[in-house]
Amino acid sequence: MRRRDLLRLFAGAAVAPLIPGLARATPRSDEFFVFVHAGGGWDITLWADPRNEEKGLVVPASTRNTEVGGIRHWKPAGDSFEMLTSSTSSLRLGPAIGGLRELQDRLTIINGVSMNTVSHEDGITYATTGRHRIGGALAQSTIDVITASELGAAQLMPVVSVKFPSAFVGDQLDRRVVPLQVGSVDAVTRSFARSSLYFGDADRAAITALLTDEARSLASHSTHPEPFERLESQHRAIPPLVTGDFTRTFSTRQLQSLYPQFEYGGVLGEDTLAAAFAVEALKRDLVRCVGIGVSGFDTHGIDYRRHALQLQALFDMVATLVKLLETTRHPTRANTMLSEHTHLVVLSEFCRTPGINRNGGRDHYPNNSALIISPRFRPGVFGGTDPEQLLPLDSPLVASGPRPITPPDLLATLLGSLGIEPRRYLRDGEIVKGLLA
Amino acid sequence: MKGIAFVAACVLAGGCGPKAVITAGPTRALPPHREIVLDSGPKAPRRMVPPEVFLRAYLTWFGGLSPGATLLRAREGDLFDQWTDYLAALGLPDHHFDVPRAMQSNTVMLAAIGRLGEALCIRSVELELRANTPIASRVIFAFEATPQPTRAQFAAGFDVLHRTFLGYPAGLGPPQRLERFFELHQKVVANHAAGQRLTPDEMAWAAVCTALVQHPETGLY
Repeated sequence: MRRRDLLRLFAGAAVAPLIPGLARATPRSDEFFVFVHAGGGWDITLWADPRNEEKGLVVPASTRNTEVGGIRHWKPAGDSFEMLTSSTSSLRLGPAIGGLRELQDRLTIINGVSMNTVSHEDGITYATTGRHRIGGALAQSTIDVITASELGAAQLMPVVSVKFPSAFVGDQLDRRVVPLQVGSVDAVTRSFARSSLYFGDADRAAITALLTDEARSLASHSTHPEPFERLESQHRAIPPLVTGDFTRTFSTRQLQSLYPQFEYGGVLGEDTLAAAFAVEALKRDLVRCVGIGVSGFDTHGIDYRRHALQLQALFDMVATLVKLLETTRHPTRANTMLSEHTHLVVLSEFCRTPGINRNGGRDHYPNNSALIISPRFRPGVFGGTDPEQLLPLDSPLVASGPRPITPPDLLATLLGSLGIEPRRYLRDGEIVKGLLA
Repeated sequence: MKGIAFVAACVLAGGCGPKAVITAGPTRALPPHREIVLDSGPKAPRRMVPPEVFLRAYLTWFGGLSPGATLLRAREGDLFDQWTDYLAALGLPDHHFDVPRAMQSNTVMLAAIGRLGEALCIRSVELELRANTPIASRVIFAFEATPQPTRAQFAAGFDVLHRTFLGYPAGLGPPQRLERFFELHQKVVANHAAGQRLTPDEMAWAAVCTALVQHPETGLY
């Protein structure tokens, strides 16, 4: 190396932290994330924290309150169901676990997550950001946005949220990770679709080049250059998605034909398409985090009869997703499958009451469970609830206890497992070392 | 009366006492002011313009169109779809899917708005340049569009568009801007042959319009 080059290198290293652009430059990571939100509040007694006998407030699922016809793992035991057990561990699961039964040795289930709320909006916010709402406002960003900002800001589409409650809050995040939030996969592909009757790719490339030049020029003259810098990066991301085969590949029909393993016409309907989108987008290294929202779990009345079917469909979708990731090559790592570097978190805003209400349904309850499938997490069931009231128990895993595990603990543990300092983004929560592999 | 006399006597008695003497001592020097460094960097929270602002601007620019009229104009020729197809992509709340209003712009939003802008610009070219509408009745291209314009001829037309979309004369903008847009015009003319739906010049003006409606400065409004 020439002396001049060496000096330049040292000078660059010294100056880098002082230059915002360089200091913010995020190293490219090859970890991927899928976050699934079961909207409405799920009944954990049907899967993670199963109950099959009446005790205290607990009225278990039975043929009187649940449609058991399509539940594959429902084996009658008395008035209720038989627990699903494992020959290799003390794992006990409920019948609505669906396809995840085959993957039970890979599941990290955390029970007795204390939610301190029974409001949908507040529960969603607490589960995904680790903070309760302040008035109506969010105090912190959601976990998908945080991980993307740390590990995937350079990605073409860092965060795609299909009905997932993503939120970008605060000013410590990279602007490029503002979530692409849509109601359906179709909305993403339609936005990038362009008619070929008038402009061609060359015209659009020229327009984009002009817009990025103008944004860069304005940034260089501006007191607040950041909005222009981000507009530049957002404009630059558009042409590859407009001109390539993105809109064709990610059309509903094409995704369904590429991934027939998912059940598109089933209980979850269109929501399943987002899982197919996730596999294809990860495979093509287009996204860092995909958020998937699945609705229909808020069953206060007679609709509770189908709650177990809804849960089974959710876990079937997750199981299919995991199996596809196991057989899909990682886009940037040789001889590696996507599942080895993909972290999947399934959560809801709270669970449902242990008792059945007078309408035949279950209401909101300030307890919760979470499911994580990640190479960085230890498989097993952690945390617990009391036998009569289904309320969270203090967890011996929490160092700052005695207290139950809370959402900020889970989010901090996920960030910690990736080498990210949680306190940079989360006010509360500790890294629960007992959950980590 | 007796009370007043008593108070007056007390005051007089007090006033006749020995005088208090205050001697002046040496003045101590005031401690020097500490230099306080004020951080005068920008503190405004980072944000982008809300999507309604973009959309309202679009509807106003193209003649104060209603959302329905905009749709009728933009949809023809597979240029745009229904508003409902894009609600969340445009950043608007979509209550069908419980997707809240977007508080920041993102790539999908820019792409969806870009699709709308492209559609409206092409339609305006058809309605005004192609149909040879009298200049006084034009909303966007209110200038004489000379085929294969010289730089000066282009500058005159560009100034009209610049005033419409960015709100001030092109001459007050950065000096390179005119060159960049003239170059875009020439590139698009070169990309197209005669005999298509629009002439190469018309396509070029549509491209200039499309770039201006998506211009980063529109984010300042």
